[in-house]
Amino acid sequence: MDFAWTDQETAFRARLRALLADTLPDDWERFSQHGPASPALTRYAETFCGTLAEQGLLIPHWPVALGGQGLDPWHQTILAEEMWIAGEPRGGQYMNVNWIGPTLIRYGSPDQQARYLPPIGEGKALWCQGFSEPGSGSDLASLRTRAERDGDFYHVTGQKIWTSYAGLADTCFLVCRTSDDRKRGISILLVPMDTPGITVRQIPSLIGEGDIHEVFFDDVTVPVTARLGDEGQAWEIIGYSLTNERLGIPRYALARAALDRAVAVLKEQGGFDSEAVRIEAAHAAALTEAARMASYAIVDRRAKGEAIGAESSSARFATVMAERRVCEFIVEYLPEALADAHPYLKMHHQRGIVAGIAAGAAEIQLNIIATDVLKLPREPR
Amino acid sequence: MDLSLTDDQVAILDAIDTLTRPYAGASLHEAGFALPDAQLDRELAEGGFLDIGFDPDLGAVSAALVVERLARLPQTVEAAASALIRPLLGDDLPRPLCMVEEGRTTRPIRFLREGGTVLIVGRSGVSTFTATAEQVRPEPEALFGYPMATLLAVPADRISHAVSVEDILTRWRIALAAEAAGLLAAALDSTVAHVTDRQQFGRPLATFQALRHRLAEAQVRANGVRWLALKAAATLDPGDAALAALHAQESARATVYDFHQFFGAMGVTLEHPLHLWTYRLKALISDLGGRGGQGLAAAEALWK
Repeated sequence: MDFAWTDQETAFRARLRALLADTLPDDWERFSQHGPASPALTRYAETFCGTLAEQGLLIPHWPVALGGQGLDPWHQTILAEEMWIAGEPRGGQYMNVNWIGPTLIRYGSPDQQARYLPPIGEGKALWCQGFSEPGSGSDLASLRTRAERDGDFYHVTGQKIWTSYAGLADTCFLVCRTSDDRKRGISILLVPMDTPGITVRQIPSLIGEGDIHEVFFDDVTVPVTARLGDEGQAWEIIGYSLTNERLGIPRYALARAALDRAVAVLKEQGGFDSEAVRIEAAHAAALTEAARMASYAIVDRRAKGEAIGAESSSARFATVMAERRVCEFIVEYLPEALADAHPYLKMHHQRGIVAGIAAGAAEIQLNIIATDVLKLPREPR
Repeated sequence: MDLSLTDDQVAILDAIDTLTRPYAGASLHEAGFALPDAQLDRELAEGGFLDIGFDPDLGAVSAALVVERLARLPQTVEAAASALIRPLLGDDLPRPLCMVEEGRTTRPIRFLREGGTVLIVGRSGVSTFTATAEQVRPEPEALFGYPMATLLAVPADRISHAVSVEDILTRWRIALAAEAAGLLAAALDSTVAHVTDRQQFGRPLATFQALRHRLAEAQVRANGVRWLALKAAATLDPGDAALAALHAQESARATVYDFHQFFGAMGVTLEHPLHLWTYRLKALISDLGGRGGQGLAAAEALWK
């Protein structure tokens, strides 16, 4: 067992930090409060991701043949941590490089790869994921948005909701129903968002402007060539996507950075002399570090080419516990952060609320742990 | 980073499993609050398993793995302090090694008995002495999963050790976390087995979500304690050690009552061995000032 970073990994992290320090504008911390999906941050992300691409830091974990450098999952983790700690200047593009690109590499047709991969690698694409529906959140397989086949086309009708980035995205990774079979009746269509019949309505949110939307599909015509993989293959493809994104955003890293910042502010104010405050800060740090190590255990498996396993749900839930405790610490002992005194902490707090909801509810993670880690008999359905 | 066990570590843990297999399967019916086992202790010591931390090639991580694995047994053996703290002091000190905080010497002490080594750590440094019969009052009725005794007198004549107080406290915290990780895992396994077998309302208790989610959270905690303990053993950093011990004590607090709760009335009998793990966890909760003590130590190390 070895818990130390290699020299190469340490240098990679230092290079990312130097680039962030050189590139981000002076008012970045205030600016980042716009939220990762806001028009302002989305515009900035195009410039920033262009810079990352020039430096070979946008898709370093992709295969060399597709413009990456074939770096291992540890480098991908370091990249994700440093970007998220910085307030995610890649905006919604983090999703492209983490799982949309790798999924297209695995399942995309040559035409789909030629069309969609280069813009992702150049930092010029923005995707949204059409997963949740008004009646289908955690129970994704109950989704009802329908794609009716008509020769070489599908006609898509239905509604998606709580869709991040939909307002400005150019393409939707749309999960829809092509037959009544619960899981085998679901297919994926790659749909340009300017296709006639698509209407997007923003839903005001707690996590910043432009983050959550409703998307209506009213008899939207999509060519069959836009289908990713086979008809009915969506459940398998989503499973693969999740192996690339199962750990999700490394929220433990920003939670710890926010905690450290809050402590620094409290120390300046003399508020960190209180034993109660110090003990509570330590509890929060214990949870961020427990989540970090649980996550690293999964990264280690990925780096060795092993199956990730259900333990990734344990790491996800540990991260939710950590995010929550840090948010609670700041609410209790540094409430001015939620006004406007400390933009970095406000940014963290805005985003923290979704830790247990986005990319799979925390209760679903607990179900997975119960069934697949603890091997408890299943609940009756 | 490489979070797999080394070949040496796999071999050590395999050897422990082989040695302890007869003990793991022993009849536990109506064990008392604690289940010490002199023969197991002797076999482990003779096999060198408690001296692994002296070998610089194996180091504290391997010692912590040994402590974690042994804590899963229903029998209790003084392994944590011997494996992780003794390497700072020398292998000539008689076992068991009993850890005592200066200023808290009147508390019940784990494994304390005549002939054992008492280590006192605190402001005045690190010192040890060999306990005599007159200094020790056994506490056979104590509600803990360890053999406990009270120290009646602290002799002025003690061996002073040229080792830093902070290093001892750091390793104490790592030992505590590693032991708690094994205890949490074993208590969780035991509870999982029970709720899987036990049927009520025509179905296993394990199929009720009210229990499933709390057990899943216990898994998240047990997993976190194990990783924090191992990381702290690797870095020997005071902050890492304090976080590991804090998470261990907090997780013990958060899970012990749930484990008993899920056994129903069976969980309050001595017929089932659950208490052999949980009542050890209860003893560990008060070490070094409890969660507050660990929290203050962590804050001091992390944020000066």
